[in-house]
Amino acid sequence: MTGTIVRKEIMANLLSYKFYVVILLAAVLVGTSLFIATRDYKDRLADYSLIRPKPGEPIAVNPPNPLAIFAKGLDESMARSFEISSIGITVRAGQKSANAVFAFFPTPDFLYVARVVVSLVALLFGFDQVSREKEGGTLRLMLANPASRGSVLLGKWLGNFASLTVPFLLVSALGVAVLALDPAIRFSADQALRLAIILALTLVYIAFFLSLGILVSALTRRASSSLVILLFVWALLVFVLPNLGTLAARQLVEVPSVRALSEKRQQVWTREVLLRIRGEGDWASHIKAISAENDALEADYRVKFDRLVALSKNINRVSPVASFVYAATEIAGTGIGEEGAFKREIVRYKNGIIDRMLASPDAKAADAPAFRYAYRPLDRVLASGALFDIGWLAACGILFFALSYVAFVRYDVR
Amino acid sequence: MFKTMVKKEILGNILSFRFVVTLTLLLVVVPVTTFVLTSDYLKKVSDASLRRAETETYLRSYGHFNRIGNIIQAQMPPIPSETLVRGLSADVNLSEFDDDPLPVMFPLVDLVFVVTILMSLIALIFAYDSVSGEKEDGTLKLMLANGLARPQVILAKIAGGGLTLLVPYVMSLVVGLVVILVHPGVGWSSADWGALGLITVGTVLYVLLFYALGVFISARHQASSASIMTSLLAWVVLVLVVPSLSPYIASFLSPTPSRIQVEREVNRLGDTERDDLGRKLEAERMRDVLAKYPILAEKMSEADRKRLIERDPAAREAFEARRKAVQGAWDEANRIQGEKMTAVRNAAAKKEQAQTRLARTISMVSPLAVFTYLATDLTSTGMKNAEYFGRLSGVWGQAFSDYEQKKIAELQAKDPATDWWNTAVDMSDRPRFEYREEALGARVQAALPGFVLLLGYGLVFFVLAYVSFLRYDIR
Repeated sequence: MTGTIVRKEIMANLLSYKFYVVILLAAVLVGTSLFIATRDYKDRLADYSLIRPKPGEPIAVNPPNPLAIFAKGLDESMARSFEISSIGITVRAGQKSANAVFAFFPTPDFLYVARVVVSLVALLFGFDQVSREKEGGTLRLMLANPASRGSVLLGKWLGNFASLTVPFLLVSALGVAVLALDPAIRFSADQALRLAIILALTLVYIAFFLSLGILVSALTRRASSSLVILLFVWALLVFVLPNLGTLAARQLVEVPSVRALSEKRQQVWTREVLLRIRGEGDWASHIKAISAENDALEADYRVKFDRLVALSKNINRVSPVASFVYAATEIAGTGIGEEGAFKREIVRYKNGIIDRMLASPDAKAADAPAFRYAYRPLDRVLASGALFDIGWLAACGILFFALSYVAFVRYDVR
Repeated sequence: MFKTMVKKEILGNILSFRFVVTLTLLLVVVPVTTFVLTSDYLKKVSDASLRRAETETYLRSYGHFNRIGNIIQAQMPPIPSETLVRGLSADVNLSEFDDDPLPVMFPLVDLVFVVTILMSLIALIFAYDSVSGEKEDGTLKLMLANGLARPQVILAKIAGGGLTLLVPYVMSLVVGLVVILVHPGVGWSSADWGALGLITVGTVLYVLLFYALGVFISARHQASSASIMTSLLAWVVLVLVVPSLSPYIASFLSPTPSRIQVEREVNRLGDTERDDLGRKLEAERMRDVLAKYPILAEKMSEADRKRLIERDPAAREAFEARRKAVQGAWDEANRIQGEKMTAVRNAAAKKEQAQTRLARTISMVSPLAVFTYLATDLTSTGMKNAEYFGRLSGVWGQAFSDYEQKKIAELQAKDPATDWWNTAVDMSDRPRFEYREEALGARVQAALPGFVLLLGYGLVFFVLAYVSFLRYDIR
């Protein structure tokens, strides 16, 4: 029986206006975003080949991550150039800082399209599953057959999930195929696996919103009120909660401001230079002092900032959308956790260079070892939060489906 | 009759389920947003004063002119309107080691967000069935059976519907303002209130525009279930897609050189290339000087030279000529390379400006972008203010460098041999950077095209709705 209902749902979807509008929109957007993000990635790659340090230069530059095409996250920040010298780390930012329009609007990567548009699409498939059939009178007819309510609901869920995900996966697969054919973009086996996980995660995300849609549909008598409620819930989950949560966490955790930190750093090195010129202490002791004070600043900031991140993550997880974003960016290697690990690596690299400087003051800086950042392995990424986020998203989806079963069993089909 | 129609629309909306949901949502979101933004603003204020104090303490012990630019910089202070509109004030900061990546992951919520995203969505939710829904219910037939002209009906629908939408918005905003005003330490000036008033005018235009769009789409469809799909499609494209794509499209159409590359090139011009040029010029000039004063070619110890200069006026002249030649050569090298550096920087800046302008123009296809620019420009948190701030800091930078020259001259007068570059100086009388918001008049001028554009979009959608409704089959 469930099979028949699945088939019926898919057929009904294929014949509806909604299906074409919505699928066309999602397809166009996924395509456009991949195209834009690919060009952006190539631009940054070209940039990287220009600024990449010559052998022996004490400069740390991490090449852009090809998975940023799908989830840009903080890749821009990780692909800056960090120049090490006796006074600390000089950072040079890339392209985007020049054009203020970038700062006004969110990045239209695959993750954004999935997060905002695909979730909306899933809701539009779910919102009238029960209430519309009641309004049309077909729900009565359907249940007059020997079909249990559970199998009807499951059939509806599966049918709509299939009609949503098949076109979505086809478009994504097409996009990935085009990317794979591009000689400038190379995915390692590990990155390909990560990409597959991100796509699978997106399916879990779609399932979550579909379940939510069906739940609200089973709780309301009319399709139009179900839609109104869902659109508000959607706006709350996707936009309001995660964005407000970050700000709220900031009220609860004391973190030194970014400006205060960078001012401190400037004061540290200019002071040491002045003291050196005045003839107090030797060269090595000043360099040691600058390095140690900068590291202390960084360590202090890290502890506090990590606390802020943990809190804001936990607040934001009220909305599973935030979980989706955290998991996807961490798996792509462009998330907050990865950025923190990268920064620690930069500090370690700097300390290595400083130690060499102190050990042999006459050696040229040009003997510095090259910087190479190894992304955290997938199992560590999953263990340090991503798996929890995926599980939470899936659990919410399952919970909503279970609730919609309960609501549907009690639904008055007349 | 028109009045009755407007009243019917207003009552129909107010009594509807979606009105209750809208009111609840806004009454929660807006006050919470203002509360959080206000405490954030107060935190920023105290952080700014702490930092100022810290800089003063530092300058008392280690204030010297060498590298002073690293210590004293023009800074944008927190401004009171940040309690409502955040604009470009987020602490992302890509040019320092310490950056704050949280706003990159989830952009901040503020009043502009509430209007641009939530209010536009709400307007479409209210408008999508205004024509097609009435047709489905059969009330459209009945309505037009009276002596009612269609233009009146459509105008009443847009006016009545748009006005009901503003009620929950204004109510929630009032509660939000109360939240801001009960916080001691937030002082809103009359200009801030003026800006808020103008933003509210912009909000009215923005909401009416989306309401008209919704009515237009509704009048193109026979079924309201189809019109909500099209409405959401239009909303996604106009609100979510176009603004985000615009800077990327602009960066492909009008590329800029990599900032890092430009900086490296500038450094090379000012460093190695300058040294090469300086040495070359020095050698050239020294050739003439050596020909004139052969004594300079003689090898002698430092002490011998000093003695010689003291004894022999001709020798003194020769050494003076050499010093002048060397100085002149390096000044010349610095000048030439400085011009080159400025040229490289200016060329890059020009390209960046062209790209920004293009991105801004493309994004203005979307009413969301138009409203965002309008609101941020009015509250001194936008691009106009960034420019204005640049001008102010330029003026201050000049004043500070004059002050520096004066101070150095004083130091030299006291003791010519002093290393004035690296001597700690009392800088408590230095010119301090003070930021004052641009006058409201200038801000309004910047925002004016935005108002016109919003009005224009609104009129276009209104005319489209009108024409579609005239041709609508009401059966």
